[in-house]
This record gives sequence, structure tokens and C-alpha cells, in this order.
Amino acid sequence: MAASRPTGRVATGAKAPPDRLWVDAGQAFERWGAGDPSGLDDLVALMTPVLWHVVRAYRLPQDVAEDVVQTTWLALVRRRTTIADATAVGGWLTTTARREAWRVSKAGQHATPTPDDELAARLPSGRSAEADAVENDDRHRLWAAVDALPERCRRLLRVVAFERRPDYQSLASDLDMPVGSIGPTRGRCLAKLRVALVQAGGI
Amino acid sequence: MSEMSREDLLDVVRRVYEERDPVPEGLVARMQAAAALEASDIDGELLGLMELVERSEELVGARGTATYTLRFVHGDTDLLVRVAVDDGRSRIDGWVVPPEPMTVRAGEHAATVTDTGRFELTGLPLGLLRLSLEPHDIARPAFSTPTFEI
Repeated sequence: MAASRPTGRVATGAKAPPDRLWVDAGQAFERWGAGDPSGLDDLVALMTPVLWHVVRAYRLPQDVAEDVVQTTWLALVRRRTTIADATAVGGWLTTTARREAWRVSKAGQHATPTPDDELAARLPSGRSAEADAVENDDRHRLWAAVDALPERCRRLLRVVAFERRPDYQSLASDLDMPVGSIGPTRGRCLAKLRVALVQAGGI
Repeated sequence: MSEMSREDLLDVVRRVYEERDPVPEGLVARMQAAAALEASDIDGELLGLMELVERSEELVGARGTATYTLRFVHGDTDLLVRVAVDDGRSRIDGWVVPPEPMTVRAGEHAATVTDTGRFELTGLPLGLLRLSLEPHDIARPAFSTPTFEI
């Protein structure tokens, strides 16, 4: 029996379910609009991690990526009155961040490598070495499977995974892909990932 | 054994990146500080409200037709609008000086400013209205006119 396949481990209970995040973001934005400054703090806390991953998908160096995230927040503050529908604030933020990341990566050709294998691995500790070893083995299998994907698959899947429901029209132009090919490409990339996971012995 | 669903796979992607390229320490706090500071600055600017500096004589014609012009100023931007109402239908022609790529919105209606600084909005409902101007350069704040009536 294939008891230790990643499927069971994948669902991390720690993270709020996708839709919850967007709802919470909308409510925080509404509170801020109603004059409560903590609404802005909460919105920033909720959405900054999402923006980080979307922006880093453009392979911008850390400091440049931080600047892009900050530009996005400043734009939100300056443009808040133009966002009529609070529930749309999450999409507004991710689209703005993506657009800015794309612009910066084009303009500066910063998009030189942050190869994934240079990224620091942060593994939890504090449990038995044996438990860690098993856990690490699983993690490395997942990492290897994602690494095995072509560059454009990694970028597209990272954006889609964190942005949840990206607007295909703007996504297409920011990824330099025809809009009609986003859906099929995403499907192919997911299929490749599934195969890679199987080959890595994950399933 | 069931195949991993799309959501399972995207969850794998999320997990991998959360572990390998985590949000830098302190980034959230830095962004909160930057956003709060900007918000206090913006509040000081009264949200970029344009000032009405000129209003032409209202030319009232027969059967509810009217034409007049309004001129608004904000910073270096001048906005001239010509409002024409004819038998319940309205039309706004606008000129932005200096010309700048921006989107002009009036409720659900939107127009893009051309290279020459012109835009037009048609079929606007009669009543109170305010135009908001959103420069395409997101480093620039958006601003809006005071409410006026057409």
C-alpha cells in the first residue's frame, strides 16, 4: 500500500483556504476605507506573502522584488478610492504587482538568475533526526519534481498557485504568452508536475 | 489510489516555494510602515481633489438642452470638460493638459486619454457626477474632480 504519498501531506492545515484569504483581504480593505487604520495593517499582512511569491516568479533579485512589492502597496494607498469593489482588492493587488514586476524585469534586465538551487533551504528542526530525515526526504522529492519543470512552467504555476484566480488577459501579456494558451499551458505544466511526482516516487 | 487533483498539485507548488523562497523576515512590517506613512501623506493631500477654477455661463437651449464648460486644476494638471446635454442624453468632452496617459472614470463609464490629451464619455446618466483621473504611471496618485451636476 502506498501509504506515504505526498497527497496526504500536501494539504497543509496551517494555511487558510484560498477563498478565505481573498474574503479576509476584502474585509480588511473595507475596514480601512471606513477609517480604521488597522484594516490597512491587516491587509498588508495578509497579502504581502502572496505578492512576494508572484513577484519572485519573475526571477527578480530579493531587493528588487521587495521594491516591487512596496511600489504595489504605495499604489494601493494612492489609488484606494478607485477600487469600488472591496472584494476585488486581492486581484487588484496581484495584477498590479505582476505588471510592475514585468515592467521592472523588462526595463532593467534584472531577471538574471536567482537559480532555485541557490535559494536557501529552511527545514524545520526540533523533532527527532529520524522524523526529520523522513520529512526531508519527502520535501526533497517535491522540490525535485518542481525543479524538473521547464522554466516557464515554474513561473506560470507559481503565479497561478499564489494568485489563485489570475486574470488570464493580464497574465498572458505579463508572461509574454498568447491569452488562449494560458489554460492549456497550465494544464500541460500540471500534468508534467504530476508525472514528475510519480517518477520521484512521491505517489 | 487517486490521482492528485489540480488543487493538490498547486498546493505542492505553494509549499515548495514557501519553504525554499520564504517571505523575507521583516518584509511585512516594513510594508506596513511604508503603507501607513503613505496613507498619512495622502490624507494630508485630501485625496487629490481637483479644484474647480472656472465655469462657463450655462447655455440653456430649448427642451432641456444645455452646454457648458468646467475647468479643474490639480497640481500641474489642467482639466477642461465640455458638458453637453441634449434631450436627456449627455456627452462629456475632456482635455487634459499636459496630455498624460490616464483612465478617466465616471461611475461605470470609463475612457482613455489620447496622446493629445482628449477623452470623451457618452451616455452618462443625468445627475451628480464626479470624474476620477487615474494616471497609468502607478507612481502618480489618482485624483478626482469635485462632484458636479449634469
